[in-house]
Amino acid sequence: MHRRDWIKGTSAAGLALITNRWSATAAEAAGLSDRFAGLAEMALNKAQSLGASFADFHLMQTDKESLFVREEMVQGVNAGSSLGCSVRVLVNGAWGFAASEEISEAKITSLVEAAVATAKGQAGWRSQPIEIEKLPANVGKWELPIEVDPFTVSLEEKVERLLGINRSALGAGANYCYSHVSMVRERKWLANTFGSRTEQSRVRIHPGFSITVVDQKKGEFASRASMLPPRGAGYEHLRDWDAVAEAALAVEQAREKMAAPSVKPGKMDLVIAPSNLWLTVHETVGHPTELDRSLGYEANYAGTSFCTPDKLDTLRYGSEIVNIFADRTADNGLATIGWDDDGVATAGKEFPIIKDGIFSNFQMAIGQAELIGREGGSNGCSYADSFDSFPIQRMPNISLQPGKDDAVTTQDLIAGVEDGIYVDGNGSWSIDQQRYNFQFTGQVFHRIKNGKLDGMYRDVAYQGNSVDFWNACDGLGGRDTYELGGAFNCGKGQPGQVAPVSHGAVPGRFRQINILNTAEESGKKVASLDPVQSPSTCDCSGGGKTSWA
Amino acid sequence: MGLTKSQSESLSQRVLDLVEADGANVRITDSEDLQLRYANNDITSNGLVDRIKIDLSVSYGKRSASIQVNQTDEETLKAAVKKVQAMAKLAPEDPEHMPELEPTEYLEPKTFSEATAALTPEEGLARIRPVIEAARTAGVDSAGYLERSVSSATLANSKGLFVYQTSTGVDYSLTARAAEGRGSGWASTQVTDLGDLDLEPVGARAIEKALASKNAVERAPGRTTVVLEPAAVRDLVSLLFWGLGRRDFDEGRSFLNGLVEEGEAPVGKALFGEKATLYSDPQDPAVPCGVHHNGLPREKTSWVDKGVLKNLEVGRFWAQEKGISPRPFPGNIIMAGEGKSIDELIAQVEDGVLITRLWYLRMVQPQSLLYTGLTRDGTFAIENGKVGGPVKNFRFNDSPVNILRNIIASGKQARVMGSEGSMPMYVPPLLVSDFNLSSVSDAS
Repeated sequence: MHRRDWIKGTSAAGLALITNRWSATAAEAAGLSDRFAGLAEMALNKAQSLGASFADFHLMQTDKESLFVREEMVQGVNAGSSLGCSVRVLVNGAWGFAASEEISEAKITSLVEAAVATAKGQAGWRSQPIEIEKLPANVGKWELPIEVDPFTVSLEEKVERLLGINRSALGAGANYCYSHVSMVRERKWLANTFGSRTEQSRVRIHPGFSITVVDQKKGEFASRASMLPPRGAGYEHLRDWDAVAEAALAVEQAREKMAAPSVKPGKMDLVIAPSNLWLTVHETVGHPTELDRSLGYEANYAGTSFCTPDKLDTLRYGSEIVNIFADRTADNGLATIGWDDDGVATAGKEFPIIKDGIFSNFQMAIGQAELIGREGGSNGCSYADSFDSFPIQRMPNISLQPGKDDAVTTQDLIAGVEDGIYVDGNGSWSIDQQRYNFQFTGQVFHRIKNGKLDGMYRDVAYQGNSVDFWNACDGLGGRDTYELGGAFNCGKGQPGQVAPVSHGAVPGRFRQINILNTAEESGKKVASLDPVQSPSTCDCSGGGKTSWA
Repeated sequence: MGLTKSQSESLSQRVLDLVEADGANVRITDSEDLQLRYANNDITSNGLVDRIKIDLSVSYGKRSASIQVNQTDEETLKAAVKKVQAMAKLAPEDPEHMPELEPTEYLEPKTFSEATAALTPEEGLARIRPVIEAARTAGVDSAGYLERSVSSATLANSKGLFVYQTSTGVDYSLTARAAEGRGSGWASTQVTDLGDLDLEPVGARAIEKALASKNAVERAPGRTTVVLEPAAVRDLVSLLFWGLGRRDFDEGRSFLNGLVEEGEAPVGKALFGEKATLYSDPQDPAVPCGVHHNGLPREKTSWVDKGVLKNLEVGRFWAQEKGISPRPFPGNIIMAGEGKSIDELIAQVEDGVLITRLWYLRMVQPQSLLYTGLTRDGTFAIENGKVGGPVKNFRFNDSPVNILRNIIASGKQARVMGSEGSMPMYVPPLLVSDFNLSSVSDAS
């Protein structure tokens, strides 16, 4: 799961993909690699001459391509590229930052001056100076390994693949179907006054669909979204997905969901598939263990956290079988990278967040570890989502580890439930600003009766408290049930930044979780019925990735 | 401070002159943002950021594609045009593709203030400093964010349409927190003209709420009479607009389908309570906004009048299919109020809850437009017509449809920020019955 096949220091390999890029910005980017050293020296020297004790200079290029197909109509064919630079300075214990899409010596000089002026504008009324640890000088190149560069695959091939999904859904009886794919390439250059000079490139891809079935007479409808997560990967991620089969299954499941009985609210046992549980990990473990939140830096937006530094190494966050691990080195991880945006090397910085159920560490960027007396400095969790964004602490890949017994399957977990629900696919999510009270839905809710799947429920949401929830975990799947979920769009910060992040998970069993009936919550009177026994439309066989065959 | 009109004309024409396709639309946005952020009573991240985006879409008959770049040199623009034209030629025909709009008339924009555009980082810091110092004096930690934006937006197309609009704005919010007793208070403001910006009363409100909300006690959840301050109202009302599409209704996948009988139209029906009146107006002086949406002119539009649904958003293709006029998504939302103060609303409540703001609102069930979310940063009991002690926060599960049906009284409109989206909104506080507070949250 944590192959570390860096391509550091191999410039030819690091830039190999550039030759296939499409626009003049490719030439621009290639040119920037040559110009970078000179521009960086100029920016950093200027910053130091104006009084900066630390400065860094970032160049970033983001290329995007997306396709959108509605039914059998190709309605979105889009490409884009943005390029720009930023300067961050630390002067007299205060940060200053400025950015522009213009990359010229004159502009960079003015950015340095503006950043220094903003930092100096805080003189005389700061209460605490910002202090950062000294970092090693890292020099090299890194590229995320991918098989097929999605930007080089023909438009026809990609469009035909999406049309195939929609034809399958419509052929199976869907009234409506959307499918889409988004591809992103991030290229980053970083130089700082510690002597780091890094150049990195990574690609990510997110294919998906959503189908809807409608009962016009009853004024009802039901939808089912795909369960393939985005990955740090190339076109092979879309190519190898049996989306045609999943689309047909999705239609069948949406119909079954629309006809299913409404769930009776109350406490029930849940088995939660990795396709749903990754998001629960994200919200109930990922965000609460961000040190900047815990220290109040996000108080005005994302919030703070119940995880305060005094709870380190003492809080029983989950039952003894719960182990949650953070890294920026996992294969195909959306947060995987060689050096973070403070210039910290990520290899060797992997860390447990929850070890045998105990809260073990925070996610940290530069200048944060000392604030809680933690040795070792940053653990490589800094990220800026764009050339014009100030780097802030963002999530690494954070993953729920398999249970100790590798033989445990999803069916084994289900077999241990008398009356409960097997939740598959992620739906709605919401959690309070200190990460206590959460509420999630899903895509499909299979009823479990006497250890076996037995029809479906509709109108299901599960709600609880983060720590209570993880302490209610009494079963985890083995290594073969591990799947890597994730999202392109984790939001944080002011101005808002979005970060891609992966979360691996195995299926988990949770006892006596609070179930809401969402129809009742909206004020409707609902008669809860037993599900009609029907052949299950679930394949919960587990495996390395979601398989709906 | 953004491209001038003549610079925008020149740049858009440069792009259009490079295009050989049948049709082309070019949108240019150019902005300079001042971003000042602080936490624990000290400035943290901040920035002065300028950027430009050129968004070009081209079409050959019903084949089309689009591209965005942020460099304006000839080489980048030529490459972008070449790429997007190649993509459009390869794209399958889209039966729903609409041709470029003809030139048309737009309302005069009211969205620009010279004073706002001229705000410097030094002046921004000077305005924030007394708010931070007030928090220090009060013994609370404060975290806040001020963003000044100045921008221009241009749309031009191959049929000669050209529309240019400049905008300015300042958004400011802060959260004050009392360590002892876990109190938290929030307040905000949003202005177009710097002359309307007064941060110190905003800071004072947040500090007052932080101190007043210490040592919150648990109150039982359930359907409750609530006074929703404008920040909470704007979040809930804006959610309604995501569901007001004509096409979704015609296709049977709107919450509106569950509110009418099969074959019945929702427009003209009293779907909400009599005290619900919502409209949009690009020239409203309190909340001016963009005068078009992708080239479709925005006009003053009634959406809900005394509970009766008056209009739905209709895209160009669907309007053509149905033989009706398109109606763009609004750029602002104004809700009529009865002018009462929040205290007057509270005075009408024997037993209820006062809610400052909401957080993490997410759709739970599109069929009923059911949303969930949480209260945050100032939740208080109301007892016998007066604000009582602080209570722990709640998770709610409810639909804006229910809220607009259950309005007992409303107050004086205000322009504030919300948790979801930054569209200018001018909404009153509301006194609402039967708001579904679903469970208690320990967050404070």
